[in-house]
Amino acid sequence: MTILCVRFQLPPAREAALPALLGLLEEFTPVVEALPPDGALADLRGAERYFGRDAVELASVIRVRALALHGVDCVIGAGPGPLTARTALRVALPGVTCAVPEGEVREFLAGQPVTALPGVGTATARTLCEYGLDTLGRVAAAPLSTLQRLVGAKAGRELHEKANGVDRGRVVPNSVSRSLAAERRFERDELDSDRHRRALLSAAGELGVRLRAAGKVCGALTLTVRYAGPRSRTGPSGGSPASTTRSRTLKEPTAHSAALTGTAYGLYETLGLQRARVRAVALRAEALGPAEQASHQLTFDPADEKVRRIEEVADRVRAKFGPDAVKPGTLAA
Amino acid sequence: MAGFTHLHTASGFSLRYGASHPERLAERASERGMDALALTDRDTLAGTVRFAKACAKAGVRPLFGADLAVTAPERPQGDASVRRDRRRTPVRGGAFVDESAPRVTFLARDGARGWADLCRLVTAAHARAGGDGAGLPSLPWADNHGDGLTVLLGPVSDVGRALAAGRPDRAVRLLAPWREAYGDALRLEAVWHGRTGTGPGSLRLAARTVGFAAEQRIRPVLSNAVRYADPGQGPVADVLDAARRLVPVDPAKELDSGEAWLRDAGAMLGAAERIVEAAGFRRDVAHRLLEQTRAAAAECLVDPEDDLGMGAVHFPEPRLVGADRRTAQRTLASRAAAGMVLRGYDRSAKARSYWERMHDELDIIAHHGFASYFLTVAQVVDDVREMGIRIAARGSGAGSLVNHLLGIAHADPLEHGLLMERFLSRERVVLPDIDVDVESARRLEVYRAIIGRFGAERVATVAMPETYRVRHAIRDVGAALSMDPAEIDRVAKSFPHIRARDARAALEELPELQALAGEKERYGRLWELVEALDALPRGVAMHPCGVLLSDASLLSRTPVVPTSGEGFPMAQFDKDDVEDLGLLKLDVLGVRMQSAMAHAVAEVERATGERIDLDAVEEGDPATYRLIRSTETLGCFQIESPGQRDLVGRLQPATFHDLVVDISLFRPGPVAADMVRPFIEARHGRAPVRCPHPDLEEALRDTYGVVVFHEQIIDIVAIMTGCGRGEADRVRRGLSDPESQGRIRVWFAQHAAARGYDAETIQRTWEIVEAFGSYGFCKAHAVAFAVPTYQSAWLKAHHPAAFYAGLLTHDPGMYPKRLLLADARRRGVPILPLDVNRSGVAHCIELVSDTADSPGRWGLRLALSDVHGISEAEAARIADGQPYASLLDFWERARPSRPLAGRLAQVGALDAFGANRRDLQLHLTELHRGGRGAGGGQLPLAGGRKTAPAGLPDLTSAERLSAELGVLSMDASRHLMDDHGDFLAELGVVSARRLREARHGETVLVAGAKAATQTPPIRSGKRVVFSTLDDGTGLVDLAFFEDSHDACAHTVFHSWLLLVRGVVQRRGPRSLSVVGSAAWNLAELLEVRREEGLEGVAARLAAPGGAPDAGADDGDGPARSRLAGSDGLPAPAGSAARDAGEQRRLRMPTGYEMHPWADLRPAGEGPAVGRKLWHQSPGSAG
Repeated sequence: MTILCVRFQLPPAREAALPALLGLLEEFTPVVEALPPDGALADLRGAERYFGRDAVELASVIRVRALALHGVDCVIGAGPGPLTARTALRVALPGVTCAVPEGEVREFLAGQPVTALPGVGTATARTLCEYGLDTLGRVAAAPLSTLQRLVGAKAGRELHEKANGVDRGRVVPNSVSRSLAAERRFERDELDSDRHRRALLSAAGELGVRLRAAGKVCGALTLTVRYAGPRSRTGPSGGSPASTTRSRTLKEPTAHSAALTGTAYGLYETLGLQRARVRAVALRAEALGPAEQASHQLTFDPADEKVRRIEEVADRVRAKFGPDAVKPGTLAA
Repeated sequence: MAGFTHLHTASGFSLRYGASHPERLAERASERGMDALALTDRDTLAGTVRFAKACAKAGVRPLFGADLAVTAPERPQGDASVRRDRRRTPVRGGAFVDESAPRVTFLARDGARGWADLCRLVTAAHARAGGDGAGLPSLPWADNHGDGLTVLLGPVSDVGRALAAGRPDRAVRLLAPWREAYGDALRLEAVWHGRTGTGPGSLRLAARTVGFAAEQRIRPVLSNAVRYADPGQGPVADVLDAARRLVPVDPAKELDSGEAWLRDAGAMLGAAERIVEAAGFRRDVAHRLLEQTRAAAAECLVDPEDDLGMGAVHFPEPRLVGADRRTAQRTLASRAAAGMVLRGYDRSAKARSYWERMHDELDIIAHHGFASYFLTVAQVVDDVREMGIRIAARGSGAGSLVNHLLGIAHADPLEHGLLMERFLSRERVVLPDIDVDVESARRLEVYRAIIGRFGAERVATVAMPETYRVRHAIRDVGAALSMDPAEIDRVAKSFPHIRARDARAALEELPELQALAGEKERYGRLWELVEALDALPRGVAMHPCGVLLSDASLLSRTPVVPTSGEGFPMAQFDKDDVEDLGLLKLDVLGVRMQSAMAHAVAEVERATGERIDLDAVEEGDPATYRLIRSTETLGCFQIESPGQRDLVGRLQPATFHDLVVDISLFRPGPVAADMVRPFIEARHGRAPVRCPHPDLEEALRDTYGVVVFHEQIIDIVAIMTGCGRGEADRVRRGLSDPESQGRIRVWFAQHAAARGYDAETIQRTWEIVEAFGSYGFCKAHAVAFAVPTYQSAWLKAHHPAAFYAGLLTHDPGMYPKRLLLADARRRGVPILPLDVNRSGVAHCIELVSDTADSPGRWGLRLALSDVHGISEAEAARIADGQPYASLLDFWERARPSRPLAGRLAQVGALDAFGANRRDLQLHLTELHRGGRGAGGGQLPLAGGRKTAPAGLPDLTSAERLSAELGVLSMDASRHLMDDHGDFLAELGVVSARRLREARHGETVLVAGAKAATQTPPIRSGKRVVFSTLDDGTGLVDLAFFEDSHDACAHTVFHSWLLLVRGVVQRRGPRSLSVVGSAAWNLAELLEVRREEGLEGVAARLAAPGGAPDAGADDGDGPARSRLAGSDGLPAPAGSAARDAGEQRRLRMPTGYEMHPWADLRPAGEGPAVGRKLWHQSPGSAG
């Protein structure tokens, strides 16, 4: 009962606040694993002794602090291992920590739907439900060989173990948040690709500024386009509006806005959108690493050099006169 | 100065483009002092007839034209300026609608020739688009010519675009082929909508056009490219644009200028002056521009009567219908005579009257010259019969002996007292109308046969414009305004199917919309725009029954387009238009009951070898009438609706004539005129038979002095006044109009008096004529209807299993299939589950041999075709491959798709192969995977061919039922209400069977699955919601009166399972209904019961909203029963409930009132089918 799984109730627009919230957790234990976009696992084994409180009490402290400092409520599940903690999180309500004691893991799991298990996505869940294995109790009762026939040898074995409460996972600290996100919403259903690109330019610019300010580079960029449209059938409370996600690894890790924008445009072009009713675009910079370890391919083209130097100056101007002091011409119009 | 003529005007028939109806445009043109107006709809001439009629009314000369996209002439390679890169396929949302094709306006100039050219162009444009709707209609260059046309090259033509792009050189090049094709008939069209820039509608483009015209010596004209009649309709045009392009309105983009309205002459002169000045001419040149426009309009002379062919008749050439050597009339006469001999009438006792009647009719036909029409219909009927398709004539045509002799109509008109005059007489100068019913499943085959017989150049189906009603309007406007799709759906579905223009009124008045009305401000301009779309066409479909038959000139008189899907030729005109245009229309109705009966007969023959000839079934079969009198007539043609079951229960038909009367009485007219009660009273001897004069006895005797049929009115008038039946029919038609009624009354009194009838007789007779005259039903119709009614009831009585097999296969009638299945179960027909080794493509019958005590008991085997998502090919393959030895065998030979195989396993169709249903699923998945991978699909077998179990939990009983509902849309193994028995017992719900013993006036709780809901027009003008519940033991008919609507309407419309509190109404031994006072969603209560126990249910029932204060105390019962007339419908004395609807009550010309919201398809999603009836258990497959 020493692992906490925390999900901060961040509105999608505030995904970028996650690193600060992770910092809050790190005040209690160094063993914090970020679960982007809005969650984290924390191993409180040492902290219990240090603070003299058990994990459930600490969870309350964390909740209070998150609310006080950041104005963000959170949902917390607690259990002996990461798996149980994450499963417990599903049933937890804001304000009440759901704690699963050591000996009751199997019983607790038995009543849960298969989707509660981390690693069981919609596809696996659909497969299992089709065969009447809709709760973990039924999964646990099914023969291992049958499970393996259903979802494959390895996945079947893991599923079997997990459903029986065998939790081999542990919390792997990944010191900092591994991603940064920026989202732009539209007032109405937006079809105009110029305006889409403008939003991407703005979002990529913001990511670049934030990366450079933090001294980071990112190795990959993910574009999420959210549509007004029929809601996806899965997921709690009717699911979220449909969206498309595309990722691309950058040629070299970078925080250079122009490179990010170019990649974002490239991702956007692959979608070939015409009549899709876009309500928001979001860019996420992933695989963050320290800027000093990044390599940069020099070119003979002086333009690249110039752009980078202008960017440097612009950053300094922003530092002095605020984030809106300098922006690309297209966005200023 | 003389008015301006708009040469380029789009009406609402330009789908999702024009915002005004043609009538409105004609009206406005007249108001604004215009002498002429052109209608040039995009891609269609469908508005022509309505426009011509409206123009005639408004005193404006109509010009006809069309606005067509034109494909550029083939160019030699090298001109790459128009070539484009292929765009990437969008991952979502689809591609833009390509509207880049240049559009040109064509006006018919030279009378009939111009009109024919126009029709040809429109036909050609659509022919290229193909029937699949893949491409937008576009005129191929090869067809782009016509001597009788004037062509306007406007801003969106290729020439106009080149000018907009600042490329007069290119414009010259593009103009050359146009000049070549049309020479002097070419005009350049200048349009100024006050836009900036050089695009369409800008002053600069207009000026360039005028300048270019002067330079090229082509006459310019001025137009306003009209899209709507009045200023201020720009936002509506925006919504239409959005709906057409399938994108939302984007206020940041260029919206409609708001200027494209029907501007008056002064405003157009102003525009002309601005344009010529901008083009560098003197201001007074503007008059020359207007003069040119006027001259272009003056040239276009197409007369609606002479040139469009309105008022003339075109029958197929006589040689095509077997009259190549003799005249059509002679051929008809000899065929009729042959019919006499064939049917033996010439040897019967009444031979003389038959011959006389035949010759009379032939004289009338000759008088009108309709002989080839009769031959045409006879030809069609013969062809269809030869194909082995059941065919029956309906309508007044059944009253003609000649029709009967030609084999068109079954019933002998002399025997049933049917009159030719009701169908055709010397005095009537309208086209006769014969409708034929064919098997619905083979209707398209019939169409193909007709086209094959007469040729595609003479036959076309008729169009049926689909117009905006409230739900579609909300969907399109909502999407244009970027509303959330889920929200649009919710708002749209809350509305009943009413007109769009009533949206706001409905919000104010309908109780089930109260919740929505509360938040209506949130939607801003939505309501206004929704109402503006009212009745605009939004699509065109093929009319379900009309077929045009004409001579070879059809294609030069009507534009014909291929229908989507089948690719039948379809005239762009709708059924009213074609009548005005004098095109002969034959209504070929697909009747599902005919298909169902054909299937039943075929099944009986297949299974037993017994051949049934339905048309020769013995009349007066006691078992059949016993069945009908028991009111268990579900599935029987025409007598299955709740109202009809009630009427049949009271009428207790015993003969074919009673059926004819019953069908005639159950019409809105007779019900409204209260003809039902006196008839029933007299029939059961409770009231005397009224007969004003012995001369009328023969006419009135059969119906106990109540006038039921048109034929009786004709007879009465003919006898009393001696005017002849043809004239009497004309008089009868006049009765429905209050004005002419007065005149007829005087005329009737005079003539009757002259024939020596006394004043009292005249007075009493007139009362009868007046009261029932306009409501009666054509007896010929009723006889034609009663034949399949009797036949279907006969089948139900004697071959129930086959009858249900036919019904389920062809799904006729008003009830969902699962209700028919429940009925079959109740009537003791064993329902055999789906089994891949036994089920056929269609439902079939099977001998249930295991009951030794009743040999020859037939069961109903469910069909493969009812499995959700099965294709015809798959079903046929499975049926062809039977029997299968094992799962593997089935998989390999029947090759079902994976989801289909899964569904079959779920409903137990594969149970014969061993293992439980979930295990079977797993095996199927592995077979599927094995098939995809490199072979090697080894199936674990246990005990020979049985499939080995895999240890998965089997479907629970509830899951099985859920699967049946999901996959078959039917609760096949048992009734779905059976599972809720405990809860219903807790509540003390009365079952339908026990309800039969309930006292009149007793307050009861009933529950069941909703089967049908209607709000028919009621004489009192109240809105009454009728609904039928099915609880497994029978049907419960419910009525909700207005005072309960606030509390119940929403629940009744939007729930599938209902719990209702109400008072029993008893009107006869077999006639019973429940007047509801409170309704709950039973599915919700079941959920509550499961989760919160009885306390939760109690809390729910105690909550307001479910039940009103004290709607149904016992004292209310008798009072209500008095209000409800004996016909089962409420009497005119209204209840105390007054509402806003009262003021908006529609008063019919005949005096009876109608609630404004009556007769609508109610809100919600229709009767419950399939899985909606069942809570989705998380364990069942998707």
